[in-house]
Amino acid sequence: MKSEKAQLVVNGLKEAGIDFAAGVPDAQFIEVYKMVEKDPGIRYVGTANEAEAAGVGFGAWFGGKKPALLLATSGLLVATYHLARINLLHEVPMLVVIPYRGDIGDPRWLGLYKKTTEPGLNAMDIPYRIVSRSADIVRSIKECNESARAWLKPVAVLLNEEALW
Amino acid sequence: MVTRLSLLKELSALIADDVLVVSSIGNNSGFWGQLKDREANLFHVTMGMCTSTALGLALALPNRKVLALDADGNLTLNLGVLGTVANEAPKNLTIVLMDNRNYLGSNKKEPGMPTATAGKMNLEEVAKGCGIAGACTVEEVAGFRAEVHKALSTDGPHFIRARIEALDNDRPPRNKRVPDPRENKYQFAGYIQKTEGVEILGSGLGGG
Ligand SMILES: [Mg+2]
Repeated sequence: MKSEKAQLVVNGLKEAGIDFAAGVPDAQFIEVYKMVEKDPGIRYVGTANEAEAAGVGFGAWFGGKKPALLLATSGLLVATYHLARINLLHEVPMLVVIPYRGDIGDPRWLGLYKKTTEPGLNAMDIPYRIVSRSADIVRSIKECNESARAWLKPVAVLLNEEALW
Repeated sequence: MVTRLSLLKELSALIADDVLVVSSIGNNSGFWGQLKDREANLFHVTMGMCTSTALGLALALPNRKVLALDADGNLTLNLGVLGTVANEAPKNLTIVLMDNRNYLGSNKKEPGMPTATAGKMNLEEVAKGCGIAGACTVEEVAGFRAEVHKALSTDGPHFIRARIEALDNDRPPRNKRVPDPRENKYQFAGYIQKTEGVEILGSGLGGG
């Protein structure tokens, strides 16, 4: 991901009011993680796995923070049990931002995530928006977070095509 | 060795009203809900999620004491969190680990299946190796009282491993209804909003 696009993701988080983030880095999103970690307005917690990140974000919400999870498509699979509990049992909001690796156009051997990402989000009843153009990044992150907080459930933003590559 | 109930009774007597308690699923939540009915409790935090939830809460509210009431099976599902706790180093976090060395001992007349701590794993040493230098083990009520008192009155993060009986043969009388996760969410978030002045639930423009 080019640093201008990574900056748009961070701008979206800031405009959404995100002040807390947790996750495990993804190769295509590494600039986003570095910028978020440096940002004085966002408390970033690097965790050992993505389920742990979901728990940390869940706890931070109860402390008045507006949390985001930064998850790889592989990491979404690791986080599913805790995300499903957070969504379906506790009903607590969480923005989930995912660089959509494995979608059509990804030249690497990651097609497995095409089969797991959207069906997995649907199975967990986590609404999502796919963002394909960098011009839509900021607005979509903001809108997804607004919906998450109004609906008291996690909502995901998936970045693919020109918005990611 | 002591029972879970005897230690939770002790905890209920010495914990201040404003300490936020995050309890794992099973008898940690079930017993604590009977012993200490209060708004400052978050119950039913599932396998692998108890200490990470308490960590997020402690980081969000650095001036508020937070106590995780965790268990051996729950913690070992997501053991990496101990490294995160050590590095993030929230001064206000105490982890109390009820180590009964088996899964499902809380509900059965005989132990369920052994956790790793029934074998060679020592979670006090694991916590120390992760960087929580003051991690300790207690095996009776007086030691538990002293360590919890110390943890709640000095800077953390603290890790107290309590070796308890494999089975919960003594139980509190069930005369309270422990709230379900949604009711508990509103109760706990509402209490934190009221006492910390933060906005948690207010969002959206309503229906219509
Ligand atoms: Mg156990």
